[in-house]
Amino acid sequence: MSDNDQQQPISPNGRYALQLNDVHCYYNSFRAVKDVSLKLERQKITAFIGPSGCGKSTMLRTLNRMNDLIPGARVEGQVMFHGQNLYDPEVDPVEVRRRIGMVFQKPNPFPKSIYENIAWGARVNGYKGNMDELIEHSLRQAALWDEVKDKLDQSGLSLSGGQQQRLCIARAIATKPEIILMDEPCSALDPIATLKIEDLMRELVKNYTIIIVTHNMQQAARASDYTAYFLMDRDDRAGALVEYGITNEIFTNPKDQRTEDYITGRFG
Amino acid sequence: MSAEQSNPSEALYPEGAGLETFITTRNRRGFVWRVIFISATIVAIIALTALIYNIVIGSFGYVAMQNKVDPASLVLAVEEDRMLTNLNTLSSEDDKELVKGIEGNPNAIGFFGYAYYQENADKLRAVSINNTMPSAETAASGTYPFARPLFIYTTADIMAKKPAVAAYVNYYLSNLDETVNEVGYFPAHPDAQAKTVQSWLAANGLSQGNELPTIDFESLSDEDNLAIAGSSTVYPLSRKVAIDFRRAGFAGPVKIDNVGTTGGFRLFCDGETDIVNASRPITRAEIEACQKNKREPLEFNVATDALAVVVSTENDFLQNATLDELRDILTVAEKWSDVNPAWPDTEIERFIPGADSGTLDFFAETTFTRKLEDLPKDTLVAILEANLSTGLVRRYESEKPFAERTQEDVLNLVLERVVERRVVKSWSLIESLFNRGEIETFVESIPQGELEFRSWLHLGFLTTPQATTPELAGIRTALLGTLWVIFITMVVGLPIGVGGAIYLEEYAGSVGNPTLRQVNAIIQTNINNLAGVPSIIYGMLGLAIFVRAFEPITSGALFGATDPTTANGRTIISAGLTLALLILPLIIINAQEAIRAVPQSLRQAGMALGATKWQTIWHHVLPNAIPGILTGNILAVSRAIGETAPLVVIGASTFITVNPSSPFSKFTVLPIQIYQWTSRPQDEFRNIAAAAIIVLLILLLTLNASAVLLRNRYSRRMT
Repeated sequence: MSDNDQQQPISPNGRYALQLNDVHCYYNSFRAVKDVSLKLERQKITAFIGPSGCGKSTMLRTLNRMNDLIPGARVEGQVMFHGQNLYDPEVDPVEVRRRIGMVFQKPNPFPKSIYENIAWGARVNGYKGNMDELIEHSLRQAALWDEVKDKLDQSGLSLSGGQQQRLCIARAIATKPEIILMDEPCSALDPIATLKIEDLMRELVKNYTIIIVTHNMQQAARASDYTAYFLMDRDDRAGALVEYGITNEIFTNPKDQRTEDYITGRFG
Repeated sequence: MSAEQSNPSEALYPEGAGLETFITTRNRRGFVWRVIFISATIVAIIALTALIYNIVIGSFGYVAMQNKVDPASLVLAVEEDRMLTNLNTLSSEDDKELVKGIEGNPNAIGFFGYAYYQENADKLRAVSINNTMPSAETAASGTYPFARPLFIYTTADIMAKKPAVAAYVNYYLSNLDETVNEVGYFPAHPDAQAKTVQSWLAANGLSQGNELPTIDFESLSDEDNLAIAGSSTVYPLSRKVAIDFRRAGFAGPVKIDNVGTTGGFRLFCDGETDIVNASRPITRAEIEACQKNKREPLEFNVATDALAVVVSTENDFLQNATLDELRDILTVAEKWSDVNPAWPDTEIERFIPGADSGTLDFFAETTFTRKLEDLPKDTLVAILEANLSTGLVRRYESEKPFAERTQEDVLNLVLERVVERRVVKSWSLIESLFNRGEIETFVESIPQGELEFRSWLHLGFLTTPQATTPELAGIRTALLGTLWVIFITMVVGLPIGVGGAIYLEEYAGSVGNPTLRQVNAIIQTNINNLAGVPSIIYGMLGLAIFVRAFEPITSGALFGATDPTTANGRTIISAGLTLALLILPLIIINAQEAIRAVPQSLRQAGMALGATKWQTIWHHVLPNAIPGILTGNILAVSRAIGETAPLVVIGASTFITVNPSSPFSKFTVLPIQIYQWTSRPQDEFRNIAAAAIIVLLILLLTLNASAVLLRNRYSRRMT
């Protein structure tokens, strides 16, 4: 924890956590996302919105090299993180993923105890501190501690969907990432659980940079500081960034007609 | 589905009555399929039941056993020999010599006929046996052990046809008391005597009264003759009666032969003689043999024979001896104190009748009643040495020294080689339950036959090695062979198989190089095909590779661990490796299925936390796949256990009596053993094959049950 706290002020990127320069994503020969350049603000929530198939999830996975797991996936361009391109050959994706954590669409806790769910990630990354403290701290940060403190030895799968998702967030926090990627984290949750996650995000953003993919326009409007709107190009079926800016401006005064169509519900 | 679709176009879907019949038709079609499935299940259950029924009825049932040599006579021969060759023993056919030796000698002991003891009662004293002194009463009632009833046999028909026979028996019974006393035997029990008289009367049609009629010698013709044959023990009595009978007025010839009791019955049943002298009761087999010649033997208990164990009148310590003490006194003991500490510390001097004497046999039969199974090991070894050729004994000695063998082991050798106890015929459980009468008649028709209810499956069956005779054969070597082979199969096959599955499922897909990807695809296809290759092909492969090409390794020559009896590649390790190859595709395919079933989200969760691929596989994928992998592995191992064909090609031995001791031993396995037994011509081998099948089934069921248990335990831990 202290490591990260010290690193942030001297970050060479200044106010930006990630900088994307002309990024293209391919699945084998198919180009899924083309020509994205973006600067993602540090300790802010950035939302990726757009209709299905526009490449926003692909974009998100590109940011911590989770696309490497998909056979045939390939990235061109630069994703700069602390002045280092994540796609340089000497960069180990394992380290990238430890610094840039991820929460998935469907809650996916390990079929192990709540305690073990959090401890495992810390352990494989060589955590040397007090494990009990880390677990309590992570669960508190994920606003789950009060609900599970008496049943840490129970299976993670015994929790409700919303709790499971917060457990996954706690699990991601425990490895002390700088950035947390969230791929539609609330799509499987009811409105109350969704609100809880959103509150949690607002809390977490004080320490972390959060990038979230969502289909829920209100969620993007409510929870995010910045919004990037992606749309599939009709000609070559590749996703492209249409507009990026402060959320308020995107939703109240979009510069692009296509953005306006989308957020007003006339399209998609 | 929605309203605007179905309403305007009613004709598109059946409605009303049409709908009803339509649904009924569909339901009926479903019902037909259900019936078909149920029938298939029932057929399967019936087939399984029939299989199990066949195995079970073959494994239990009656058997007719026959010994080539009577085990009791073996025991007798050994003990008699020991008695005769003992130190301080004088053996003589002449009773006078025995008396001379015993008289005046306090350390002497001996035995002979009771009559002769009575003549010398002034110098000798009879010892009570089991606290019973010999007397007319104790001998007749059977409480004195050295006493046996004597009989004569004839039939009612013969007495009717030949009045002389009826008269002779009448005379015999009328003057029994005097004659018996004169000869030196005891009279039969009064009840037995009364019964004897009754049966004579009944046989001669005189049902009234208890008195034998007086004999009218005038009515007997001179042409009449008497042919008597049988026991030499009864001979003096019958001879005395015959002499007196002739003195009383019978003029015809009387012939009495000493041919032994058994010989006497044979002549009698064949119709050669009129009367049998017998020192034992007639057997069922002998009755049936007589009945075949229309002779119904009639028994007359005429006297009781007894012998006396005697010491000198000078002897003041031996008043009574039990049969066990008597056995020790006459065989193993050197001093009186060896038998009973209260007796003096002086050497025993023994005076016993000679080897040809019936008295010695009778004494031995009564005293040495131990069963073959109860004899100590050295006695059994002595029996082996006395009855087998020296060459054969030496061979057994070199196979495993007798000093190292157990009593049970030696006993089995004696049973197999000397007694040659064998099954003449065996019956299935069903026959045993419902054809009891037929079975019993069969058993009585064979000499020395014994009926025995036998469970071919018993503990000894598991612990005895293979043997040439089915009733002595066991599956120890085959069972150990199976365990060895399967152990090797598992040690080699499981890690390679699971490892291969992990590679193909987790790594092969993310290989970037297109040529390598293609190779992986080819491997995957081939593994699927290999799972369907006939197992005998694997046998050929194993023969070519493991047995032949790798012979230095598989025979153990490279490690200096060759089994001297094989010294070739047809070893446990070759078999284990071949079976490992055989089940490898099964293991890989099953493990792949199990690994594939682990949700992708788990892998993503692990990787997203900054774990390496291997950490994710080891900590999350494998533990979740383990239940499936285990099930697949156990099924594959079960298949290997039941595999026969490849091992036939590899060269499993069919006859092994020595435990396999290393991976380089020659071997046999249960299915091979079963296969080999079922192809033997004797019925009994099919019985032990059935028993071995039960063992194999139990082994497989245990394995499968443990798979289920393990799987349940793991699954419970996961969720």
